[in-house]
Amino acid sequence: MIKTVYLSFFRLTLITIVVVGLLLPSVSSAQLFCPLDTFKPQKIKSLEVFKRIPVLNEGRIKPLDTYVQNFLLLLSGKRRYGHESALEWFARFLFSPRTTFTDKIFLINHPEILEALKVEPEKGRRYSFRDLEPEYVKLQQLAMASREIEDKNRSAVEREILRVYNNVYLYLRLSGAMMYASPHPDFTINSPSIISQLQLSSGETSFSFYDMIERADLLRQATERLETKRERDWTQDDKILVGLMNALFFWTQYYADCPFGLIPTKEEEDEHWLSPMDIILISFGDPVYHGEIKNLRDMTLAYWNGVQLEFDLAARAFMDSVSKRLSIKEKQSVDKISLELLYNRLNLFIWTKLFYAVGFGLFLFSLMSDKTWLYRAAKIAVLAGFVPHFIALLFRIAIMSRPPVSNLYETFIFVGLITVTLGLLLELVNKNWLGIVVSSTCGLIFLLIAGKFSNDGDTMQMLVAVLNSNFWLSTHVLAITTGYAGCSVAGILGHIYILQALAKPNDKKWLEVTYKNMLGILGFGLTMTFLGTTLGGIWADQSWGRFWGWDPKENGALLIILWSAIIFHARLAEIINPLGVAMGCVWGMIVVMWAWFGVNLLSVGLHSYGFTSGIAYALVAYVVVEFIFLTSSGLILGKKNMKF
Amino acid sequence: MNCREHLRQYRIIGFFTSVKLTTFFLLLLFILTFWGTVAQVHNGLYLAQQRYFHSFFFLVMEFLPFPGGQAVMWGLFFNLVSVALLRLVYKWQNVGIIIIHFGLLLFLISGFITHRFAQESFLTLPEGRASNVSTAYHDWEISVWKETPPKFPLQITREVMAVNTKNFKTGQVVDLNELGFQLTVKEYRRNCNAYVGGAERSKIINASGIHRLKLMPLEKEPQKNTPGGVFDIETAKGENYEILLFGGESKTTIVKIGGVEYNMMLRLARYPLPFTLKLVDFMMEKHPGTDTARSFKSLVAIETKNVWRDKLISMNNPLRYKDYTLYQSSYAIDNMGYEFSTLAVVANVGRILPYISTFVTFGGLVIHFILMAFTAKKDVEPIFVEND
Repeated sequence: MIKTVYLSFFRLTLITIVVVGLLLPSVSSAQLFCPLDTFKPQKIKSLEVFKRIPVLNEGRIKPLDTYVQNFLLLLSGKRRYGHESALEWFARFLFSPRTTFTDKIFLINHPEILEALKVEPEKGRRYSFRDLEPEYVKLQQLAMASREIEDKNRSAVEREILRVYNNVYLYLRLSGAMMYASPHPDFTINSPSIISQLQLSSGETSFSFYDMIERADLLRQATERLETKRERDWTQDDKILVGLMNALFFWTQYYADCPFGLIPTKEEEDEHWLSPMDIILISFGDPVYHGEIKNLRDMTLAYWNGVQLEFDLAARAFMDSVSKRLSIKEKQSVDKISLELLYNRLNLFIWTKLFYAVGFGLFLFSLMSDKTWLYRAAKIAVLAGFVPHFIALLFRIAIMSRPPVSNLYETFIFVGLITVTLGLLLELVNKNWLGIVVSSTCGLIFLLIAGKFSNDGDTMQMLVAVLNSNFWLSTHVLAITTGYAGCSVAGILGHIYILQALAKPNDKKWLEVTYKNMLGILGFGLTMTFLGTTLGGIWADQSWGRFWGWDPKENGALLIILWSAIIFHARLAEIINPLGVAMGCVWGMIVVMWAWFGVNLLSVGLHSYGFTSGIAYALVAYVVVEFIFLTSSGLILGKKNMKF
Repeated sequence: MNCREHLRQYRIIGFFTSVKLTTFFLLLLFILTFWGTVAQVHNGLYLAQQRYFHSFFFLVMEFLPFPGGQAVMWGLFFNLVSVALLRLVYKWQNVGIIIIHFGLLLFLISGFITHRFAQESFLTLPEGRASNVSTAYHDWEISVWKETPPKFPLQITREVMAVNTKNFKTGQVVDLNELGFQLTVKEYRRNCNAYVGGAERSKIINASGIHRLKLMPLEKEPQKNTPGGVFDIETAKGENYEILLFGGESKTTIVKIGGVEYNMMLRLARYPLPFTLKLVDFMMEKHPGTDTARSFKSLVAIETKNVWRDKLISMNNPLRYKDYTLYQSSYAIDNMGYEFSTLAVVANVGRILPYISTFVTFGGLVIHFILMAFTAKKDVEPIFVEND
């Protein structure tokens, strides 16, 4: 019934838009991107309640806190905007978008795009919406052209154009999410009789979309008589009424399909969450939806007026209303919001990296001074890094209810943890700094690399159907990544062996200890890589019908196995000596990197995820550095008559 | 000198039982694997597989022979068998190593069986329809059946004779004695374009009016190849017909031989299944608010000996029936909203072997790792293979 009323209402509006569209062009064209707010909001101080609001984004229900960080990261490559936190900036953007039009938030890496958009390059490589707005249509045209090209055939410029356009488009769509709540010139009424007819506040002249849509029935009644009245007989009040209808229709069209999943639908089978404007369009008459829309509107007004209590009360009322009608599955996700907020707040990886760096720093210091407290302090530092590292992984397991190895970011975190564990075990056995060096170096390096991957957005992504299996993720993927960790540690030990040989070639006992540890860890790496690879084969047999298909990722894993097997067999056949084994382990690390993410750069096969072109350069640079290291150390050690 | 030592005195046996040879083969396989991976960027998976992994030898820059995957695997197999027989030290301390290598031997055998005997095909069904025939991905066949007048009660099956075109060569004669004629391959193109017209070859019989085939280079993905061929039909009575069949045709070419009309078609090979399968319902779920699929499921009913049973096939949860396994592969929804599910059908007699070899080899690796960890502090390493 409600729907029918609204449909007929909009049908009438559509007729009026055709009739008077030419008379009132300014209403629909001037507000394309930037409905005017003429004054600045007072803002509120605490966003503690605001950040708890659940949002459905990329298939996952997450706290607004996570969403906004990823949103700002996506746009600007940063988690803060100047002195504002992501949350503060987003609140300003959501409730008063116009105040962000001059914020330099759009990261543009390629100078050719700036040239095409006639924008002056800036040092920070970040530009505001105002900078890009004049050539927005051009950007759109370029992006549409890029979209026509197959992803793998796109040039760097085309990819960047598409990325920038998608970001600006998203920004624009989201900028309208709460527009309905603020007074707007489109709904300015200077006629006291209309204000009284629509039962609006008599002291005001500027109203919001919300005020109007709430009085949609009154407006419809007021305009019904115009259907039979000739246009030339319309009074000034009639024209205002038609203008209001016109604006209402334009708003519902323009601000619809907003990708901001804030309000779950009431249908149990429908898992979609919609933006306030989309809910208004679907069923504003529903009292539950109406209440939630009103809560959000109250939040907007409280934000503008700087009234903390009202803002928090409205936010809580909104969350209470939403949580009452969630499905069991959705409720489980919402229940984890506190956990995720704690995870966000603790920022455990900062501490982890810091402690690993301290551990490594203490090791470097110990090269100059052999005081025992340094050893103890370094061991404590690594352990202190390990604890938050481990806890962070537990958090991720609890939040996502799955093993923490479903994307490249997570594999780096996990491999980092395994390498640190292996290092600590080595230290437990040897008590000679070897494990501390391994733990601190690997932990720090892998977490730094993971940090780069976290810039791609939400690191807790939903899984595609074929990967959506906790059993195989926790067997195949954990095993193969543990294998990567083992071979990486063997590679680090290979480096250490070579450096030891360079520093003290005659200290055979010292070298022997490193050598034996290196062989042991390589054997562990081989065992786990073998297990991971063959379990992957079994998974492939279960899902695709073949154990082995020579897919690049499968081949990558096979390369690690073959390389490790070559080292062991070459050693057995006395083709290589311990130094050769060490050099083989260093090359083995390159093989691991190739298998881990190098094959993804080929853009072929069934395992493609998380590609960024920066990785290709980093990988090439890494190979070059290792090549120089091995060649130069090989030449020096050759002169010292060390056998390979 | 025991028997094993004695045999190793022969240079050829000594060569085959050498661990250096193992290292060499492993290195070759490493190179091939890397090469075959990178080659997939330009050649696609199938062609790279054929050239680097399924071949015995291939030519580098068109003239330099390089051992392919099969040659290297056979090399590794013989080397492994020779070492196991003549060099491996069978002592308790080597139990891990022994198990590992027997597991690997089983891997090589299972790889051979799969390569030689596994058959992959697919079955696409709309909801509510049943079938007991699967279709090959890229193997083609010439199918021939008699045109029969409609009968009552309506016949829903027909007898089809099919000839696989996989090894067709020009001049090859295929006897179809049961039908009373023989087929000679005049030309056969594995990928071609078809053209209508060409008066000089107007005697050619073809339902779509095609008279000319133009050879095209093979596609990276073999599914994209469309073959075609010209064939001579010769009956025992000396009648001659020239027919052209093209894989892209939807019509069947009808030839009247000895008063009987025969339908002929070049189509993707069909494989009869030992059961009938009906698609009851296809279900797909997406992660809310995204286009990312969360799950695909096909509820099917399988009929054996006139009894039907339901089975839900989903990702990672296939239907197994004797040597056959059916997996959820893809789906389609047509303009009318009808849902189609495509199931991959794999028949593999050696399906279980990789599972066994995985656990045997891994078990060996673990045992060896533990044994090595316990003996790590000893100065003398155990001897794994006998040296000369």
